[in-house]
Amino acid sequence: MSSRQRRRRLRRAKAPGDPGDIGWLYVLPGLLFYGLFTLAPLLHTVYYSLFDWDGLTPKRWVGLANYSEAIRDHVLLRAFIHSAVLIAFYALIPVIIGLLLTAALTRTRIRGFRFFRTTLFLPQLIAGVVIAQAWVWVYDASGPLNRGLELFGLGSLVRPWLGDFSWALPSIGVIGTWVTFGLCMVLFVAGVQKIPLELYDAARVDGAGAFREFFAVTLPGLRNEILVAFVLTTINALRSFDVIYNTTAGGPGNTTIVPSMYMYQNAFLFNRVGYAAAIATILALVIFVLAAIVLRAGDRSEDR
Amino acid sequence: MKRRFAGLILAVALVLVAVGAGVSYGAKKETTTLTMWSYDNQDPGLEPVLKQLSKEFEASHPGVKINLVFKDFNSLVGTVPRALASGNGPDVTEGNQGYQTDAQLVKAKLILPLTKYVAKYGWNKLYAPSTWGMFRWTPDGKSFGKGPVWGIAQTGQNVVVFYNKKKFKQAGLDPNKWPSSYAGFEAMLATLRAKLPSSDPVIEHGNKEGYGFIHMFGGIWGASTKPAAVRNWIYHVPGSRYDTPGTILALSRLQQWAKKGYFNDDYNAVGYDASAQLFAKGKGAIWIGGDWDSTIIKTGLGASNVGVMPVPPGPSGQWTSIGGLSGPWHISAKTKNPDLGAEWLNFVITSARAKSLMYGQQQIPADRSAKPPKGDAYLTQVSNAFTKVGNDDGLLLYTDWASPSMYTTLQNQFQLLLAGKTTPQNMAKAVQDDWTKFDKTLK
Repeated sequence: MSSRQRRRRLRRAKAPGDPGDIGWLYVLPGLLFYGLFTLAPLLHTVYYSLFDWDGLTPKRWVGLANYSEAIRDHVLLRAFIHSAVLIAFYALIPVIIGLLLTAALTRTRIRGFRFFRTTLFLPQLIAGVVIAQAWVWVYDASGPLNRGLELFGLGSLVRPWLGDFSWALPSIGVIGTWVTFGLCMVLFVAGVQKIPLELYDAARVDGAGAFREFFAVTLPGLRNEILVAFVLTTINALRSFDVIYNTTAGGPGNTTIVPSMYMYQNAFLFNRVGYAAAIATILALVIFVLAAIVLRAGDRSEDR
Repeated sequence: MKRRFAGLILAVALVLVAVGAGVSYGAKKETTTLTMWSYDNQDPGLEPVLKQLSKEFEASHPGVKINLVFKDFNSLVGTVPRALASGNGPDVTEGNQGYQTDAQLVKAKLILPLTKYVAKYGWNKLYAPSTWGMFRWTPDGKSFGKGPVWGIAQTGQNVVVFYNKKKFKQAGLDPNKWPSSYAGFEAMLATLRAKLPSSDPVIEHGNKEGYGFIHMFGGIWGASTKPAAVRNWIYHVPGSRYDTPGTILALSRLQQWAKKGYFNDDYNAVGYDASAQLFAKGKGAIWIGGDWDSTIIKTGLGASNVGVMPVPPGPSGQWTSIGGLSGPWHISAKTKNPDLGAEWLNFVITSARAKSLMYGQQQIPADRSAKPPKGDAYLTQVSNAFTKVGNDDGLLLYTDWASPSMYTTLQNQFQLLLAGKTTPQNMAKAVQDDWTKFDKTLK
C-alpha cells in the first residue's frame, strides 16, 4: 500500500514530458456524457424517490416513506425472488453451457466453426421485443414446442407454457439462457486463444485427459472472461424487462413479476412515480452490490 | 477508420435530412394538422370507421389534415398523460374512464372540460343522464360521477353471451329458447358440459391480457348484487364495499366454472380477440365477451348460427352486464384548435354517416336515438342485448375504474381464483384492500 502511495506522489512531482493533468482533458467528453446521461438521471431518480408524486401534479415530500413501504411490500419481495431464479437461467446456466462448448471446441476442430459461433451469438444482436415475439410463438398452445412434444408421444407435457402458474417463470428463464449463452461462448472461445499452447502440450505430456486438461488449464486461464460473463449476464437478469413485458407482463397472478416490471407498473399504470423511483433505486443498489461482490471475488482469487 | 468515417457521413446526412424536413414542414403553414390518438384499433371494429370519417372530414374542411394514430390500449393509457404534458401530444385523444387515467388528466389540467361543446352541439341528449356519470369529475380529479363533463364516447359496450346454435342442438338444447333466470343459465352450462365431447370447452375464453375474466364476471356478479351498489363502489361512494356476501357468492360461482371444466385450459395464454376468432371457427359452445367483437364471430359462424344474449338475471329479475360506453374522447388543454377538435368529435359521434358506418361494422352507437338498420337480424340481436340491460339500468361499468392499480389487482386475483390458488373470500378482501388504500388518498 505504502509503496503504491509513494509511487503516486512521485508521479505528482512532474517529470519532464509528463502529461500531468492533461489526461483529464482526454476523458472529458466521455465524462461529460457519463455525467449527463447516467449520473444525473440516477441522482434525479433518487431525488424523486423521496416524494409522493404521480408524475404530473406537484410533488409532496415524504422522506423515506417510499423505502419503508418497499421493505414491507410482498410483491416487491416476490419480484426479487423471481430475479434470483432468473439469475440462474441468465447467468449460471449460460456460463456452464459456454464452458462446455468451449472445452469441446478446444479439443476438436469443427468444420464451419465460424458459422456456428456467429449463429450462436446472434440472439445478442436481436431486439428483446423481437425475441419475445418469437418465443411467444414457440410457446403458443398450438406452437412448435407443444406440437413437437405431441410428435414424440409426450402429449401429457403439453401446456400453455407462458400461462401456466408453475412453468411461466422457467419458460422465461429458458429464453434468457438462449439469449446469453452465445455471449458467454464467444467470450470464452476468445479467452482460450490467449492461453499458451505450451500449457496444453505440457498437460498432455503429463498424461492429462480431456477432463483434467479442462480443469487444470482451460478453467484457470478463463478466470477473467468468466468474471466478465457473470457480471454482464447477472446485470442482464436483474434488468430484464423487455422480454417479460412482451411475453407475460408479470402474470399469471404475479408469478413472473420482476423488479423492473413492478417499477413500470407503479410509474406508468398506478401513477406512483415516487414509489417507482424508490424501487429503481433499490434495484440499482442491488445490481451494484452484486457486481461488486462478483468482481471482488475475482480480485481475491487473482491475489492468490 | 474507414468505418468511422462512414458513420460520420451517415450522421451528417441524417442531420441534413432532418433539417431539410423541418424547413419544408415550416413552409406549408396553411395546413392545420390535428393528431388523434385511439386504441379502438380493431378491424373489424372502429378503426375503419374512424379512418373513413376522418377522410370525409378532411374533404369537407380544406386545409385540415387528420392524423389518426392507433395504439393498443395498454400503451396508449401508459403514455398519454406524459405525451399531453409535453405539449407535443395529440390534440384529441381517447383516455379511459376511472381513476387510473381520466382522473389524472383532469387533475393535471391536461384536458378541457367539454361543457361549452355539450351546449353548442346538444350532446346532452345523446345518453341517459345517469350514463353521463362516467365522464364527470370534479376539477381536482377526486370525485368521480359528479362535476363537469370531460369526455364523450362513440359506441356502447356490452359484455354478452354469444352462443353457437349448432352446438346447442347437438347438446339437445333449443337454440331459440334462452333461459330466463341465472339458475336456468347454470343448468344450461351443465347440460352443455355433459353432452359435448370433453375435448371441446363449453366456454372458449381468452384471458392473456388479463381483462377477459374481469369482463366475464359481470353477468354472474349482477345475478347476486345490485348494479347500483357496484357503480357506487366504482365511484367511491362512502360505505361501498366489494367483500359482500353477494360478490363472494358470484366469485365462487365463477371459480366453480373452472372446476367443472367449462373453459379451454389454455385461457391464460390465449388473447381476448383471438379467443373470439377460435370460437368463430367452431371451438366451444359459448363465448362471453364484448359485443365489439361481434363481427369476428358473425364472419366465422354465419349470422344465422349465432345467438346473442346477456347472462340472465338473478332473483331480482334485473338484467345486468359489464359494460358502458367506449373510451372517452378528450380535447387536449394544449391544442391550438380545440373548436376544430370538437367539430371532428361531433362528426364522428353524432352524424348520421357515422352511425351508419358504425352499424356497418356491427358496433352499437352510443347515441341512444340510433336505430339499427331494418332487416339485419344479427345486428338487432346485438343491439337488443344492449337495450335490454340499459332499460333495466343494469350496466355495471368497468370494475377497474375504481383505482389506478385496480386493473392489475383484478387481473392477478382472477388468475389466482380461477387456478384455485385463492379463495373467493381472500380475493374479495384483496380487492377491497386495494380500494380502501386508494380511497384514503381521496380524502
